[in-house]
Amino acid sequence: MAKAINGEDVRVNALTIEKRLADIWREEGESDEYAVTRAALWNVVAHTWDAEQHAHATEVLGRASAAVPQRTIVIRADPQAESELSSWISANCHMMGGGRQVCSEEVAILAGGARVHHVPPLVASLLLPDMPVAVWWVGDLPGEHQEYVQTLLDPADRLIVDSSHFNSAADFALVSRIAEKTITAPADLNWARIDEWRSATAGLFDPPAMRARLRAIRGVRVASGGGGAFLGEQSEAVLYVSWLRAQTEREVPFELASEGSEAGINAIEIHFDDGSVASVRGDRERGVVIASDGTEKALDCIARARTHDLEDLIVRLLKRPEADRVYIKALRVAHDVAARVAA
Amino acid sequence: MTAVALEPNPLREGLDQERVPEASCLVIFGASGDLTQRKLIPGLYSLAHDGLLPSGQTIVGMARADMSDEQFRASMREACEKHARTRPVDDTVWENFARGLFYVTGEFGDRAAYTRLRERLEGYDQARGTGGRRIYYLAVPPDFFDDIAQHLAAEKMVNDPEHGRPYTRVIIEKPFGHDLESARALNRIAVTTFRERQVFRIDHYLGKETVQNLLVLRFANGIFEPFWNRQYIDHVQVTVAETVGVEKRGNYFDSAGITRDIIQNHMLQLLSLIGMEPPVAFEADAVRDEKVKVLRALHPIENAVRGQYTAGSVLGEEVPAYRDEDKVNPNSNTETYAALKVFVDSWRWADVPFYLRAGKRLPKRVTDISIHFRQAPYPLFSRLGVKMQANVLAIRIQPDEGISLKFDSKVPGPAIRTAPVSMEFRYATSFGAEPPEAYERLLLETMLGDATLFARRDEIETAWAWLDPLLQRWAKDPRPPHFHSAGTWGPEEADTLIEGDGRRWRRP
Repeated sequence: MAKAINGEDVRVNALTIEKRLADIWREEGESDEYAVTRAALWNVVAHTWDAEQHAHATEVLGRASAAVPQRTIVIRADPQAESELSSWISANCHMMGGGRQVCSEEVAILAGGARVHHVPPLVASLLLPDMPVAVWWVGDLPGEHQEYVQTLLDPADRLIVDSSHFNSAADFALVSRIAEKTITAPADLNWARIDEWRSATAGLFDPPAMRARLRAIRGVRVASGGGGAFLGEQSEAVLYVSWLRAQTEREVPFELASEGSEAGINAIEIHFDDGSVASVRGDRERGVVIASDGTEKALDCIARARTHDLEDLIVRLLKRPEADRVYIKALRVAHDVAARVAA
Repeated sequence: MTAVALEPNPLREGLDQERVPEASCLVIFGASGDLTQRKLIPGLYSLAHDGLLPSGQTIVGMARADMSDEQFRASMREACEKHARTRPVDDTVWENFARGLFYVTGEFGDRAAYTRLRERLEGYDQARGTGGRRIYYLAVPPDFFDDIAQHLAAEKMVNDPEHGRPYTRVIIEKPFGHDLESARALNRIAVTTFRERQVFRIDHYLGKETVQNLLVLRFANGIFEPFWNRQYIDHVQVTVAETVGVEKRGNYFDSAGITRDIIQNHMLQLLSLIGMEPPVAFEADAVRDEKVKVLRALHPIENAVRGQYTAGSVLGEEVPAYRDEDKVNPNSNTETYAALKVFVDSWRWADVPFYLRAGKRLPKRVTDISIHFRQAPYPLFSRLGVKMQANVLAIRIQPDEGISLKFDSKVPGPAIRTAPVSMEFRYATSFGAEPPEAYERLLLETMLGDATLFARRDEIETAWAWLDPLLQRWAKDPRPPHFHSAGTWGPEEADTLIEGDGRRWRRP
């Protein structure tokens, strides 16, 4: 059985990556030890700047490929490092039912110094045809006008960012511009993190009697943990408020508070014109988010809190085949909300 | 109470749970039965688990057994622990779900029980915001339909949709009769109390992802439809094979047989989805209009084989003959296997045979549709001794759901030799996630009021009208069915049925 199928990295010449990948599958076809199926629904390109990020992204996407088969390309590009361009290939295999293994291909590209600029065209040559492309930008956002970045994003259908790393309101604006001006649809890991908060809040307004109260929201208070020293720690709250404003088409007044040590939203209060308050609170122990409308009926809306492991968040974003139009609507508002937070 | 058109909840847009119905009271008649325990409550719980039920959704079980709400909840929790797709049961989700779970004791023929039921439901409208919306699930034998419908009407528990009041819907389980006459009688009962658009007839095959994917495969892809006709298709095979025998249903099955149990409903649903013309919209009546046209175009059955299993071995276990099964007449001529050659008299399908076979105690459990294309028009490679095989598009409904396309490819080497290869798509490989149970999907669609995945009255009656002559012929025929050993693919006569046409059953 091929080494790569065994999970070992095989160093290959960058010019022959595709041929060596084909060799692996040919060798595998000659072996009858296990039933192995090669599968891919996405090309996922992770862009990292250093060894730690690179190792982390490789692990995360390896696990994600169990749920979303993909050709994974993990780049480490360090312009400050010695000039080099090297690559490895391997396969991520996961047992499915019936003794069948489903394998996703993984290519690692390490580039340093001037040779960093060889990365985008090399990546373009490695993308599986006809399959969509997601670029996961790990860490700080790049400058949008760099040719390197533009070339890398050129074939991307999806750009995955994590607004918990955002430093300023301008970062939200940059992602929003990508949505408006390119064919690349942005997606945010933080947006997936607030799924259950949005779901529980939406549940509050399902009963016909509550629907009218959407127009009677006087304000919203969102409490997040983590200290709130920089914008990224408030990004979930920024996205939540932006979503509420975008979907209700109202400039809902808001207050963002810093409470608790665990990062992310931990409680929300929605205040109505009549003085009543609906609450949405997380119960980490029971793994749910519970919304109560504050009325006598007190029918709770419960959303199960899903794991926030990075691979699960990425899988959730990749399982949505089309651009998330609601996120993009919220993004348009997020810059203003974030700017007020920063101020 | 008047229903007011409500704008959709804008906060639902884009969520995984984008389509959440308004809260209603779902009343299950026959709540102490097997279906409720194995499918309905576990299915509803899984919907709640996935956040697809509204917060005030209320479920009321009604049956003869004397039980309190608490006892009913405890029994249903146990059922969910055993049968829910989303196991183990999540305590928090269950607590919230169980708060909307109630039980009313009552005989289906006792008017007072309906008065109690109505009062309870009106109370939930106030307490849980169900707004007068009602869904009645008749998980009971058809003999009770009339009683239940009449009492619901007498208690004014059925709203006419024409009057703009909160909706009332009724879900009916198969069997929808045992022949045309009884099906018509059942339908008359249903439409005496309800309008046709309030009636949701469940055929759980239509809730399966792979069955729904038949529509997507045909009508969302540009490449298949041009070839989907008599010009390119040689024949079609549909197989529904079960490894189980009659289990505890000996009484019912012996009076029904595999033709009524499987072919009249599940297989004809598959046949109509394969054979239908493109609907003008993906809407309930547009889809069902096209399906029923296929049923109307079915040519009277001329070739059919009925079989019955004798003792044999299935999946390594010795199994008894059908006639030795519990609650089966030892001289029974009921068919446990049937194979039909069917034609659809339409422009698209003229002279294309559809071979259908269904049976119990066959070697494996599988439901499979295969589209066998015609041979290439000119045997270019035949002089070189190459035997060309026809292309086959196989759609596996269950288990291991997927689609494969078989075609010939050149074997590498200097000589021209070909071998059949298969391109395969499997749901589990590509999408990983476990699809929802058919009942979950169908319950949700009923709450949302979308009848696309339910059988309409004319579908049911047209299917019976087509099958009745065959069933009557078999009923009068004193000869026993063709026997085959359990664990084999049916009697030899079924092979002859297709081999006489120069074709063979595909091994699914």
